[in-house]
Amino acid sequence: MSNALTLLTRPVSWMPEARRRQLGMAILAAFAVTFPIWHNNDADIDSMANAASYAVLALGLNIVVGFAGLLDLGYAAFFAIGAYTYGILTSFQVEPAWSQFWVPFQWLGLVAQMPAETGSGSVVHFTLSFWLALPFSAAFAAFWGVLFGAPTLRLRGDYLAIVTLGFGEIVPIVVRNWSSLTAGAAGLNGVAAPQLFGWSFGVDATPYYYVAICLVALLMFVSIRLRDSRIGRAWMAIREDEIAAGCMGINLTRFKLLAFAIGAAFGGMTGVFYVAKLQTATPDMFGFPVSVMILVMIVFGGIGSVWGVVVGAFFLQLLQSWWLEDLTGWVDAFGRLVHSPWLAHVDLVRSIELIFGFILVGMMLFRRDGLIPAVRKQAALSFDQQHAVVQRGGFADLKLQGLGGDVRTGAAALEAKGVTVRFGGLTALDAVDITVPNGSVVAVIGPNGSGKSTLFNAITGLVPAEAGSIRFHGEEILGLPPHEILRKGVARTFQNLRLFTNLTVMENALIGQHARLTTGVFRAILRLPGTLREEDAARIWAMEIFAIFGNRLAPRVMQMVSGLSYANRRRIEIARALASRPRILLLDEPTAGMNPAETLELAEQIKGLNALGLTVLLIEHKLDVVTTLADTVYVLDHGEVIAHGRPDEVRRDEEVLRAYLGRNAQAAAAGVTV
Amino acid sequence: MGMLLEFRHVDTYYGDLHVLKDVNYAIEEGEIIALLGGNACGKSTTMKTIMGVVRPARGQVIYQGQPIERLPTAERVRRGIAPVLEARRLFPRMTVFENLEMGAYLRNRGPEFDQDLERVYSLFPRVKERRDQIAGTLSGGEQQMVAMGRALMARPKLLCMDEPSMGLSPLYVEQVFDIIQEINRQGTTIFMVEQNANMALSIAHRAYVLQTGQVVLSGTASDLRQNPLIREAYLGEMQVAQPLV
Amino acid sequence: MTDTALFLQQLINGLSLGAMYALLALGFTLVYGILELINFSHFNVFMVGSFIAMWVLQMFGLTGQDVILTGLPLAMVLLVAFVATMLGSGIIGVLIERLCLRPLRNVKGPAAMITTIGVSYILFNFILLTAGAENLNYPNPMPQIQYHIEGAVLDLRVVLIWIVAVVLMLALHFFVQKSRIGKAMRATAQDAEAARMMGVEVDKVVVMAFFLGSALAGAAGLIFGIYYNFTSFIIGFTAGLRAFTAAVLGGIGNVPGAMLGGVIIGLIEALGGQIAGEWTDVIIFSILVLVLVFKPTGLLGRMAPNKS
Repeated sequence: MSNALTLLTRPVSWMPEARRRQLGMAILAAFAVTFPIWHNNDADIDSMANAASYAVLALGLNIVVGFAGLLDLGYAAFFAIGAYTYGILTSFQVEPAWSQFWVPFQWLGLVAQMPAETGSGSVVHFTLSFWLALPFSAAFAAFWGVLFGAPTLRLRGDYLAIVTLGFGEIVPIVVRNWSSLTAGAAGLNGVAAPQLFGWSFGVDATPYYYVAICLVALLMFVSIRLRDSRIGRAWMAIREDEIAAGCMGINLTRFKLLAFAIGAAFGGMTGVFYVAKLQTATPDMFGFPVSVMILVMIVFGGIGSVWGVVVGAFFLQLLQSWWLEDLTGWVDAFGRLVHSPWLAHVDLVRSIELIFGFILVGMMLFRRDGLIPAVRKQAALSFDQQHAVVQRGGFADLKLQGLGGDVRTGAAALEAKGVTVRFGGLTALDAVDITVPNGSVVAVIGPNGSGKSTLFNAITGLVPAEAGSIRFHGEEILGLPPHEILRKGVARTFQNLRLFTNLTVMENALIGQHARLTTGVFRAILRLPGTLREEDAARIWAMEIFAIFGNRLAPRVMQMVSGLSYANRRRIEIARALASRPRILLLDEPTAGMNPAETLELAEQIKGLNALGLTVLLIEHKLDVVTTLADTVYVLDHGEVIAHGRPDEVRRDEEVLRAYLGRNAQAAAAGVTV
Repeated sequence: MGMLLEFRHVDTYYGDLHVLKDVNYAIEEGEIIALLGGNACGKSTTMKTIMGVVRPARGQVIYQGQPIERLPTAERVRRGIAPVLEARRLFPRMTVFENLEMGAYLRNRGPEFDQDLERVYSLFPRVKERRDQIAGTLSGGEQQMVAMGRALMARPKLLCMDEPSMGLSPLYVEQVFDIIQEINRQGTTIFMVEQNANMALSIAHRAYVLQTGQVVLSGTASDLRQNPLIREAYLGEMQVAQPLV
Repeated sequence: MTDTALFLQQLINGLSLGAMYALLALGFTLVYGILELINFSHFNVFMVGSFIAMWVLQMFGLTGQDVILTGLPLAMVLLVAFVATMLGSGIIGVLIERLCLRPLRNVKGPAAMITTIGVSYILFNFILLTAGAENLNYPNPMPQIQYHIEGAVLDLRVVLIWIVAVVLMLALHFFVQKSRIGKAMRATAQDAEAARMMGVEVDKVVVMAFFLGSALAGAAGLIFGIYYNFTSFIIGFTAGLRAFTAAVLGGIGNVPGAMLGGVIIGLIEALGGQIAGEWTDVIIFSILVLVLVFKPTGLLGRMAPNKS
């Protein structure tokens, strides 16, 4: 078992497949590097360079749409921003008057002092090098990404798409109309070609091709590194279930803006390259049709799949540049053969957008995953795992560091006072007081609609409370956003399960640890030893959590959650919450849908966790579970606490019985009450 | 009186969650049958299975001697099954009258429609008063009246009510249950899912008690009223095989 | 022109444009109200509608504005053109729903919306490839009768447009309020599951919504041709943006809202066009973005969202 454990905790997979993949990539790299040598057609090399640019654009959109699930229909705006930034600066479209202010920039080689063409004095010519412009435009475009993304944060998916479409259209219109800055519809001319050690790139396509290939390779590398890191996991959590993502500690605002920013940065860089190669820029290059074309590329290639979108982009771009002409020739010849004048005059090159339309419709109807679907790693189960005997779990040999450890001091872990929640005219919670002592198990029970889940939602920041206070270890948490509350140590499960179903079991548990890991964007890309250690430790911690559930989850950690049984999914939801090292665990009907045996098992596991010192607040309607586990029970009815005390006291309370079984004034009077 | 609706060995799943387990009901014409049980026991799923929103994986639903489990919802309504939905679910931006009209969607206008409208107005005078008011502006109790009236406009043989007392003040609960009895006296069979066991048993002829998808108790209302096991079924105690330490 | 005359003229223009945008927005909002789907293809159905109308008018031997008709022949020709266009567009809409959207009815996420982008592209490019990129002279049999009011010119065409728009909007209003299927549509938009339990066949209601919405788009297409005396493959995009903003401004999913929004946007375009010229597009896009971000329910409010 320990071998399997080690195997599964390696972030870099050491399976034999890796060798095959490395060989494949080496061949591909060799092909790419030598292409201009053995295929010395300048036009073709230029097409390849264009294809590579679009591949970068596709990678950028893939981060926003594929990873984070934010449908951006105006992505070309960032392409435009990068392009025009470089274009304006290097084509001397803007010539501010010279002043002392510019001297340090001149010293850095970024500007030159030139005599004015009209009148006297001198003007500034920007001489920003192509290589500096790349990161500069990336940052500038990222800034706009944040600006355009910010208004969309609270919008639903389709509205978000429309707003981004709006921004995507405003940018080219502004470019077209602000002629003094951008040379308007006529376009910029004289955009500087890149220079390397004094040698200018000129018109030959080959150097541009190599730059493009390097750009693609670099940004694929960045995409893959991000995807497999804490950042990528956070994005996918947001894509799968925003609410659960927030409750697992992910700062939704920060990560959504990050996705927009990084996606925009890719677009900005491509803009610089594209315009440097063309040495001109016009507004028509950046409109809605371009945004749609990039969307088609990622839909075709596979939304969320790094290799998929690159292949999709290359394929569709080369389709336009190379194959459609030949294809047109064949179709025309065929048409002449069968005497069909219509076929003989088909021009596929002009029909490329029609083809795009068919691709979008076809892919959505028949293959939404795309050509190369984003593959979730599903490692084969080892011999040990396949023959694991299902055990009821235990805590022997487990060092659950950082979990619980609270001692029953009598102090309150969680204290809710006077919490009132209203939805429109309905009062869901009415001045509710609940105290959860440190190290104890408190249960909340009550009939349907009594406000139990609303109480959890108020505690975890999902619904605002009109009045009252909620203190966690003395700190006021009412009014904090969900991810902050998780950070403080309050973790929850959901009554109707909010798992990240298209991710693996392990990934769910890793996302649970999001708030406890520290890897940011740069460390994720560089994957320094510190990051590797952190990821390893995170996986080991996840396995220890899974071990609580015996061999139910451990053999299945690399499987997608969607394929697991209902009872296992309930367990994963709990494991995910535990992974965040909470000081209090809020369980919302954890045994719902489980048969008596499974219920018994889970109850004992919860009991074991509490014995280790984890405070538990539990919503449960199976009173036998409550009786065994809970120290105190609160009974809610119509948003009010109608009783609380020890379980056996509460069970006999008349009010409670009436709440559950219903009031019947007449029957009560007649003495016939159940 | 004949058998109006039967469930025979019905099993229903949501995904792989086994929501109804080998469930059997028998509802005879003219009866008021109550389906009782605590949270998440399968009551709503029973209602959805009768209406055709959910299909059973196994078993049969027999209505007037015909199996209906594969029939679409519209057809079941046409044959005389009408629902009063949980939390009413009136069409909030239509008037009370338009909501009643929608209840008779599958029927033609004519003398029978007018008769039924009159009947609803006489059972629910408040509804008549408010017939041009926008349904979303009514109180919970008034909406429940409209919802019942809407179902009656289908001239059903079987009226399926899902939690009629939910969210109502005690005063309205009394009224609603009185009217349910009246409707039954006028000849409609009633199948009622209800959490409020006391109220339900005060007007029902027979009842079933569900717990986690299985029928754990059944019998006449008077028998069940005296049965202490109902309390345990509601509070989730019925299925303990051995006591937990 | 004096200032009042200029203002009056732009008011007339604005109301004409507004009538067209209102019809377009109405059709769009009918579908959104029931399916909560942003149907991008709607605006290219409008464009295709204008071409269908053009072909129908050409079948009558009309080309350009040379052949003028009056009285009964004029009325008949226009009637046939409108009916044929609306029927044709309606059928296209139904085909789009059946073939491309119904299979995706239960798929969560943007799949259906992306599909409508694809359909939009297909319609757009099909017309581009068959009819070319040039503006086509629109057959217009209407006589050049003009009324002068306070220095502003009121063309007979404009009067026709107003009449047609008002008639269609009233007809739709009555249909949705009074007819059986109309009520079923409203009920389905408010609570689809409850409607199903009343026996409503939701699939049929959706088809009807697409048919009506697309028919209105087609009528708007013919109106475009008569008003501007031209049509081209690109009109869907430009008019579509404005109609879409109109629907959102009025309250997406809200029928009177679409009409109100249409008129407002028409007036903004006419009056603002004088002032802002090429920046009109930016203004309209900005209105769209601002409404969605700050008041997504629009001026008259919209239905409570069913999707979360």
